[in-house]
Amino acid sequence: MGVSEVPKVFTPQTPIWCPGCGDFGVLAALKKALNDLEIPPHETILVGGIGCSGHIHNDLLVYGYHSLHGRLLPTAIGIKLANPRLTVIAAGGDGDGYAIGGNHFLHALRRNPSIVYLVMNNGTYGLTKGQPSPTAQIGFEGTKEIPFEPILTALSIRSTTFVARGFSGNQVQLQFVIKEAIQHANAGKGFAFLDVLSPCVTYNDTYAEWRKSTVDMNADKSFDPTNRALVFERVLNTLQEGKIPTGLLYKGESPSFESMQLKDPASPIATQDLTPAGKIEEFKKLIARYR
Amino acid sequence: MSSTQTTEVSEPRVVHLEDLKVMVGGQGGDGTLTVINLLSHALKQIGAYTYDTRNVLSRIRGGHADGVLRASVRPILSIGDGLDVLVAFDEEAVEVAREQLLDHAVVIYDNSHSQLKTVLKPTVKVYSAKFSEIAGLELKKTLLKNTVSFAVLCRALGLADQLAEEAINWRYARRGGDVLQSNLQALKIGFRLADQLGVKPSISFPKTEPKQGLIQITGDEAVGMGFIAGGGRFYAGYPITPASEILEYLQANLPKFNGVALQAEDEISAINMALGASLAGARAMVATSGPGQDLMTEGLGQAGMAEIPLVIVEVQRAGPSTGMPTKHEQSDVNHVVFAGHGDFPRLVVAPADASDCFYLTVDALNLAEKYQLPVFILMDQALGQNTQTVPEFDFSRVNIDRGKLLTQADLNRISVYKRYEFTEDGVSPRTIPGTPDGFFQVTGNEHNEWGFVSVDRTNRAKIMRKRMLKVEAAKKDMPRGHVYGDQDARVGFISYGSNLGPILEAMEQLGKQGVKTKFLLLRSIYPLLEEVQEFLESVNTAFVVESNLTGQLAGLIRREYGYADKIVRINKYDGSVFRPSDIVSQTLSQLPRNGGE
Ligand SMILES: Cc1ncc(C[n+]2csc(CCOP(=O)(O)OP(=O)(O)O)c2C)c(N)n1
Ligand code: SF4
Ligand SMILES: [Mg+2]
Repeated sequence: MGVSEVPKVFTPQTPIWCPGCGDFGVLAALKKALNDLEIPPHETILVGGIGCSGHIHNDLLVYGYHSLHGRLLPTAIGIKLANPRLTVIAAGGDGDGYAIGGNHFLHALRRNPSIVYLVMNNGTYGLTKGQPSPTAQIGFEGTKEIPFEPILTALSIRSTTFVARGFSGNQVQLQFVIKEAIQHANAGKGFAFLDVLSPCVTYNDTYAEWRKSTVDMNADKSFDPTNRALVFERVLNTLQEGKIPTGLLYKGESPSFESMQLKDPASPIATQDLTPAGKIEEFKKLIARYR
Repeated sequence: MSSTQTTEVSEPRVVHLEDLKVMVGGQGGDGTLTVINLLSHALKQIGAYTYDTRNVLSRIRGGHADGVLRASVRPILSIGDGLDVLVAFDEEAVEVAREQLLDHAVVIYDNSHSQLKTVLKPTVKVYSAKFSEIAGLELKKTLLKNTVSFAVLCRALGLADQLAEEAINWRYARRGGDVLQSNLQALKIGFRLADQLGVKPSISFPKTEPKQGLIQITGDEAVGMGFIAGGGRFYAGYPITPASEILEYLQANLPKFNGVALQAEDEISAINMALGASLAGARAMVATSGPGQDLMTEGLGQAGMAEIPLVIVEVQRAGPSTGMPTKHEQSDVNHVVFAGHGDFPRLVVAPADASDCFYLTVDALNLAEKYQLPVFILMDQALGQNTQTVPEFDFSRVNIDRGKLLTQADLNRISVYKRYEFTEDGVSPRTIPGTPDGFFQVTGNEHNEWGFVSVDRTNRAKIMRKRMLKVEAAKKDMPRGHVYGDQDARVGFISYGSNLGPILEAMEQLGKQGVKTKFLLLRSIYPLLEEVQEFLESVNTAFVVESNLTGQLAGLIRREYGYADKIVRINKYDGSVFRPSDIVSQTLSQLPRNGGE
């Protein structure tokens, strides 16, 4: 077989979302960002969660993994540590990330691994037919719970390095924050957390409401995304005015998880030569203290 | 001297033992285990094989704690029966040990807090001294009572002072000048006390040259070493007794080989991190005990369904729920064999001693990648935490087989690449991200050959069979068991894990009583292999020995092969390991009247 005949692999699928679902906008922006940044597809892995949003990894020609419900962050961290050269993008739902995966979310923020985490936030459990998620507004489907605010949570953890929010109804801004997130992670600067308002037209159609209430914080030139305390204050105030802050909200510095954990991030665990032959002397050193 | 007293003055008769059992007991956190550690090192220098165990509560301080060291001229894998020497730092330790003390036993008692009240056999020799008080007064550190008592212990066993000193050097040289010096001083004080007490060697152990090529190691550490040698480079865990030592071992040693050992936020995270690392191309492992395995069960099913290689070490402890964290049990057989919803393939191997822990970890890594499924290494508290003397591991025997892992060069030779391609043995070639033409879709949803979600009925039936086929295919590579004892015996034992030692000793004792036995040590628990049926065919009675209440292994064997009329259970579930005498008495009381013939 000639070299020119590239092996045939899977053909990306056509999304199966309801017409008008916000996730289409997320997919489009993600594709555009990856293309514009010329990220090699074979060095990219997209880790999906379980939910409507968790179909996204089927629709691009990159490596795709469908993780367990809520477990995409530990999985993505494992991938990144095994091979820091990869572009690792975890993309899941708000139920996936903020409810069942909430504990992993906190620890990923704290650890700062250089991966992108994109949450398609629709305030509901789309796939299981419209139950309230942790970000659902009071009253949605009769919920009597106070909504979770992931941006404030992310800002409150001192080792976070990238916090942003997009809206799938605003492609220009969404492409911008996704590109920034990918560049942040691929530069090894740490965890790029991106909450994307992505309406579920079937169970919680919030397009009109979010068009009105979203505010692009970057439009105000006095907004300094490197000052954590001020960002926290501005975000909190905006929320209290009944508005939703969006844009690149915070960028800071903290050592990345992989730089702290790996002895030699430049030589990935995943591609190491494992044959024991050359290592026998090293192995014997392990035995010495048991003699 | 007022601080010391002995019960008798006449010259003691020296008892010569080729098998010596010493218990050191006190309160948790007071360092009693260091005495075991020091003695074990000293005895190894005179050619002994050692085996030691600890009995502690999970709190760090307070509560009774003890360690038992057994030394023998032969290899041993059990604490045996009876005690020759007891070092007790409080009354409770004497009460705990009393029943086990043999007629010729020597008791070294710390009477800093109270005089010994427990009534012992008159033949037992007792040396009492205020070890803690003296250590506190002379060295300003009561904990040094351990080293003080170690000196007296060595004298009672007739071990040369120099051997004791070497043991102190071996243990404390790394810790730096002050620690080493104060321990050497404590040793001197101990020798002085022994002189004052008139301690004479009353028990002796044969002195030979130290045996070459032997190591003293726990099963947990051996698993850690096997993981590194077998190419394991990614480990994630969450602290849990009795598996934490694997995490600690790998955190200390894996970075030397450019690998990483992480402490996750919980076991759910740990197993998913390992799945991610494996998917990316690393040889990955997690280790836990029952409660952690509960949380890992979700990830276990994912490994089975998505066909991601993974090794899971399950070091069993006494359950259910939080149970008795530090206590021994073997009650997770059902858990590892049946855990998880739906039907999916898995393998379960079971090492029996520290050597086996090393080699089977390498095998498990190969099996996981060759058959792309989760492989359990089923252990138990005694196997994981007891220190054993075993031959040095032979690293040249380590062989790495990554199975059907395609490189770009392999991909150049094929026209279509499907991650879940149907194949004869059920194993589909895999690739790792970064390979230019190896794109995959990997999922825990039911899927077609491409890895796309599918509920097609024909595909479903076919791909279910494909995955399960791998268990059949793996049988040829599963570790075979060992048969011990008299080939012609009609009375048999079937067991696994740390029961190996006690059963072999019980067989010897039964042999002396005229009961001929043989023993099938299982090393593959799932699937069970033909060897089980062959063995059952060859005996009239098969005693299945296991540390649990309900006879989980016996149930598994009956489920697979029947033979309900031949299978008799021997169980123990009080949190302690089998002693040979437990097995002898349960065998004799349950042996059919015709002696099993
Ligand atoms: C352990 C577990 N519990 C429950 C489910 C069922 N389940 C599937 S998707 C989902 C919620 C999806 O909501 P979200 O993550 O917000 O994704 P969306 O569908 O809204 O994109 C649930 C509860 C599951 N798959 N696994
Ligand atoms: S149910 Fe909602 S989230 Fe799911 S595809 Fe339809 S619109 Fe999108
Ligand atoms: Mg949702």
